[in-house]
Amino acid sequence: MNSRIVTILLCTGLALSGILLALSLADFRLPGNQQGYEPPQPIAYSHRLHAGELQIPCLYCHSGAEKSRHAGIPAASVCMNCHRYVTAGYGAVRAEDEMAAKEKRSPRPIISDELRKLYQAVGLDDNLNPAPGKEPSPIAWTGVHKLPDFVYFDHRPHGKALVACQQCHGPVETMERMRQVPDLSMGWCVNCHRDANQKGIAGKAVKASLDCSACHF
Amino acid sequence: MSLLNNTRKTESAPRPFALLTSADKTRYWKSLQEFADQEAFQAEAETEFAQTPLQIEADPSRRAFLKASGFTFAGAILTGCSQAPVHKAVPNLAQPEEMVPGRSLYYASTCNGCNASCGLLMKTRDGRPIKLEGNPLHPLSRGGLCAAGQASLLGLYDSHRLHHPLVRGMQATWEDADRAIGSQLETIRREGGPVRFWSTTVTSPAREAVIRRFLAQFKDGQLVEHDPLSSSAILDAHMLTHGARVLPGFHFEKAFVVASFDADFLGTWISPVQFSRAYMEARNPEMQKEAFSFHAQFESRLSLTGCKADSRTVVAPEQLRPWIAQLAALLSKKAGAVLPGPALPPPAHSMDALAEKLWTARGKSLVVCGLQDVHAQVLVNFINHTLGNYGTTLDLAHPSHQHRGSDAALQTLLEEIRSGKIAALFLHGVNPLAQMPRANELSVALKKLPLVVSFAERQDETAGAAHYVCPDHHPLESWSDAEPVSGAVSLSQPAIRPLAGTRPVVESLSTWSGLRVSAYEIVRRHWKEQVFPRQNAEPSFDVFWNKALHDGVAAVTARPAGARPFDSTPVAAALSQPVAGGGEFSLVLYPKVSMLDGRHAYNPWLHELPDPVSKAAWDNYACLSPAAAARLSLKEGDVVRVDAGADGSLDLPVLLQPGQHDNVVAVALGYGRKDSARFAEAGPRWLNWRKPVGENGLVGTNAAPLLRWQDRSLTYTRSAVRLTKTSRTHPLAITQSHHSLTVPKNLAPSSGSTRPIIQEAVLPAYLKDAAAGASHHEVPSQDLWPRDHANDGHRWAMAVDLNACTGCSACVVACQVENNIPVVGKDEMGRRREMHWIRIDRYYSGPPEDVSVAHQPMMCQQCEHAPCETVCPVLATVHSAEGLNQQIYNRCVGTRYCANNCPYKARRFNWFDYPHEDRLANLVLNPDVTVRSRGVMEKCTFCVQRIQEARIEAGNRGAPIADGVIQTACQQSCPTHAIVFGDIHDPGSRVSQLSRQGRAYRVLEEINVRPSVNYLRLVRNRPEKKSEGENHG
Repeated sequence: MNSRIVTILLCTGLALSGILLALSLADFRLPGNQQGYEPPQPIAYSHRLHAGELQIPCLYCHSGAEKSRHAGIPAASVCMNCHRYVTAGYGAVRAEDEMAAKEKRSPRPIISDELRKLYQAVGLDDNLNPAPGKEPSPIAWTGVHKLPDFVYFDHRPHGKALVACQQCHGPVETMERMRQVPDLSMGWCVNCHRDANQKGIAGKAVKASLDCSACHF
Repeated sequence: MSLLNNTRKTESAPRPFALLTSADKTRYWKSLQEFADQEAFQAEAETEFAQTPLQIEADPSRRAFLKASGFTFAGAILTGCSQAPVHKAVPNLAQPEEMVPGRSLYYASTCNGCNASCGLLMKTRDGRPIKLEGNPLHPLSRGGLCAAGQASLLGLYDSHRLHHPLVRGMQATWEDADRAIGSQLETIRREGGPVRFWSTTVTSPAREAVIRRFLAQFKDGQLVEHDPLSSSAILDAHMLTHGARVLPGFHFEKAFVVASFDADFLGTWISPVQFSRAYMEARNPEMQKEAFSFHAQFESRLSLTGCKADSRTVVAPEQLRPWIAQLAALLSKKAGAVLPGPALPPPAHSMDALAEKLWTARGKSLVVCGLQDVHAQVLVNFINHTLGNYGTTLDLAHPSHQHRGSDAALQTLLEEIRSGKIAALFLHGVNPLAQMPRANELSVALKKLPLVVSFAERQDETAGAAHYVCPDHHPLESWSDAEPVSGAVSLSQPAIRPLAGTRPVVESLSTWSGLRVSAYEIVRRHWKEQVFPRQNAEPSFDVFWNKALHDGVAAVTARPAGARPFDSTPVAAALSQPVAGGGEFSLVLYPKVSMLDGRHAYNPWLHELPDPVSKAAWDNYACLSPAAAARLSLKEGDVVRVDAGADGSLDLPVLLQPGQHDNVVAVALGYGRKDSARFAEAGPRWLNWRKPVGENGLVGTNAAPLLRWQDRSLTYTRSAVRLTKTSRTHPLAITQSHHSLTVPKNLAPSSGSTRPIIQEAVLPAYLKDAAAGASHHEVPSQDLWPRDHANDGHRWAMAVDLNACTGCSACVVACQVENNIPVVGKDEMGRRREMHWIRIDRYYSGPPEDVSVAHQPMMCQQCEHAPCETVCPVLATVHSAEGLNQQIYNRCVGTRYCANNCPYKARRFNWFDYPHEDRLANLVLNPDVTVRSRGVMEKCTFCVQRIQEARIEAGNRGAPIADGVIQTACQQSCPTHAIVFGDIHDPGSRVSQLSRQGRAYRVLEEINVRPSVNYLRLVRNRPEKKSEGENHG
């Protein structure tokens, strides 16, 4: 009788430990795997708005992807190409216009809180004039897609082979905040290279290298 | 070799080694140990990793084992817990137009590593220079760049540079320094005191103009130029014979016969990169055929140039002038004239032969002399004049400005300093307290002068004695120009914003002249007013300037030296000079290709570069011939006292140097500098770490105190020094026997003998058969591996022309910079742990007193059947589809099996995490190459990062990779273009053509590893051996 209770208890314990182990293993990832990493950024920049809603091409800002290994994070001057004129969201401007019409005055320029950070970084005041005594200071974004130091990924051949940006970066045009979608592991890279060699990309045959020294040197 | 046999002066000396037997006639050896006992050497060489005497041998106790495992476990847990670091990405606020992050930009400039002023291409990445390469458009260096020039990049990121002016040794602001210097200069201007500007030859015309304008403000202002490696005697001799103090341009490419008396023109003499390229142009067996030049070298120590010579005669330094006199007499007899002056002893037979050769090649020959002896140089001028070489191989219409220093002017200046007559002394590029004899006296005299201003970049010996130190920019930070040879002007542009609070010399001088002009304005204005009018190809200055800035160089009309016809009057006086001598030993002070005059003493890359002849690194030493050492019962590493009587003495370790005169002790200059004090703690600090510096706390010993004044020349030789053995020893890091190529007996072909690693032919044999010198071994045809690799696409290969290789070691430093190779320090080098991916193997052949030398660059041979790949348990080294033997650092677990199995000994193991703590010095790291960590094997990759870059760029353009677009780092910098890289599957590529040549052979071909590197046989312009049994040499 007693031994039966003990057996049941032990079995339950074993099952529970098994479940706990399975749970912890489900979340197990190799060191360096940052899948799902979605750090906060100094300016709440929305890819959903820019790339999705406004359909600005990826290469407009990440122009390095064609010319260099790094796609690059755009310089603040690139942001200013548009944001010299666009100083707040559509909704806020519209609301101000309606308010101005109601109050019978000319609408006031408004600047969104996030864009004010950009203007401060390039040393402009709220009227977008150079602010005297204000040192421009570069914006320190938090990198999302980071490969180990011994990996030399190059954007150029991938763009040239018409690999879509989303293939590696996920549905960026839907992301409010940038997130790492694939695990960026070597197996993931190599599988894609193998697939591409067999099936081609966008109907075109490609030769994706499987040599170690394609990425490691 | 009859030329040598009759002229050897060392025949009577006792020989410590038995003469070669006929069976050994083609035997090559790397060290005297190997020469004496090949069996033992072989056994030692087969051990890949040296057994050091200080290995820990005690078994760990149980307690120690538990402790260690506990720590390991805790360590593993702790590292597992660490969070991935947050990585910040900080883009520019406004992107410069041409700059794309991750892309390299190249800017043309001028090298400042020595006074030769070669052309530079500065590779910059994200705003910082990371590699210096040769500028192919430069008319003198033509794409080559020497070891010192490439290593000078590290000086930019040197955290020991002065970051601010010093006023009496204390940190100060530029305003304070300017105010104090300005007020003192004002007084001097009023009172008319003498002002002297002491500098190395000012190769920059713009800077010279500024200096002269600055000095013109004073009643008695003078520029005194002095070269620490002086060629003053050549200029003084031309003053006597041609009426103009001029250094002619040397055209080795036009010379069919070259005779050099102690001039190391391939190593350190005046402009070695330029001369190496030109010299090799006349020695390409395929192009020159019968016109292959003949080179005779007369010298007392084995120089790099002597290694290449077709005939090398060992002559005591005092005897060189009499030999030149004999040559002069023979040639003057051939010209139908009698030499004025006393009768000479009958010439040696070899001299006759040389005179005949020179006379036949009249107008196409060249005699050069590196002696600091005006009389010898007058005789050399006479010889060149008699041979009609002026106007052909010697150019007075395009004179050189690389060395203009005058020893006589320097001596006057030193007298003025000693007598305290000078009101203000400015020092630029010179470090007299380390470069002059009797430095103590000079130091006292300097301190007594009212105003001494140094422009030193670092706080060197002399800067310590100066009242004000106004640090100059690093040359990569400032605007300048150069005119090394009249008519060839080049620009120097900054590659980075100044890293510290330094100021260019020209700006300092213009500030003290009351003007505030930037270096850019000074150079541009000078070019507009002085350089632009000297050309008429381009009517617009802006276009001319932009083109010169882009190309780095411009051609303008030369300013001839204004020499008058040859005057033979001084010849008689030169002939009647007495010959010095006496004493058992003569001292020869020489520069090394790495340290030169010592200006690079701060540079660890250059300290770590093994000397191409002695193969020793991190030291200077007393070179003695094996016979001389045996006479004094000295062993390598014994400390010997070199005693020069009243002028002092030096304690130096002995190095046995075959091929040196038996009565000569040779010591390198440029060591024992204050700048090298920083290396006192160099190298990984582990249990068995040994101090890498000598008792003085410095690297090497400064030999400058033994320089000697004679006839108003600072000479590098001295007779009658005494050598006494001390009881101390100082181990030297000599890499000559590390990484020896050996074929284990069980792998040797059935005939039992292996093919020579060095193969050479004499010119007559080569002309009969391009494959002369080949060893006729069967190439194995059996194959363990199925030939199932796809044979399409590229297959990268290399060809190395042993004939063109001078051993200058530019490639070694180029590789070090390109591939982030760490500096390991002297102690580790002594343990065979140097990390260089490419090494220059130096082989001797012949007996030690009369050696022939061959240099062979050796790197990973990217074998098709790589033995390293089959033994790697984790597949960290595997073959690529393009024939590269890849090394994957992140996969390597450090078993070292691969290194053990590499027949070429081309693999290097990271025994430590070599220091990368200096954040400033880390800026020099190439971002395209992984920095390896401890426990990882590494090796030459054929610069795979450059292959990838070229492939991707070609792919982006949709064009195939053109031949020659990919240049490995070693190839790019090679002054003689000895290394060619390319695709061997492309039959039209240079490397394919070279590999099909008769001279091509592959090292260790008999073991069937199928290396991808073809070596081209060395060709020497020597007569064919009479019979098979005759000894070599």
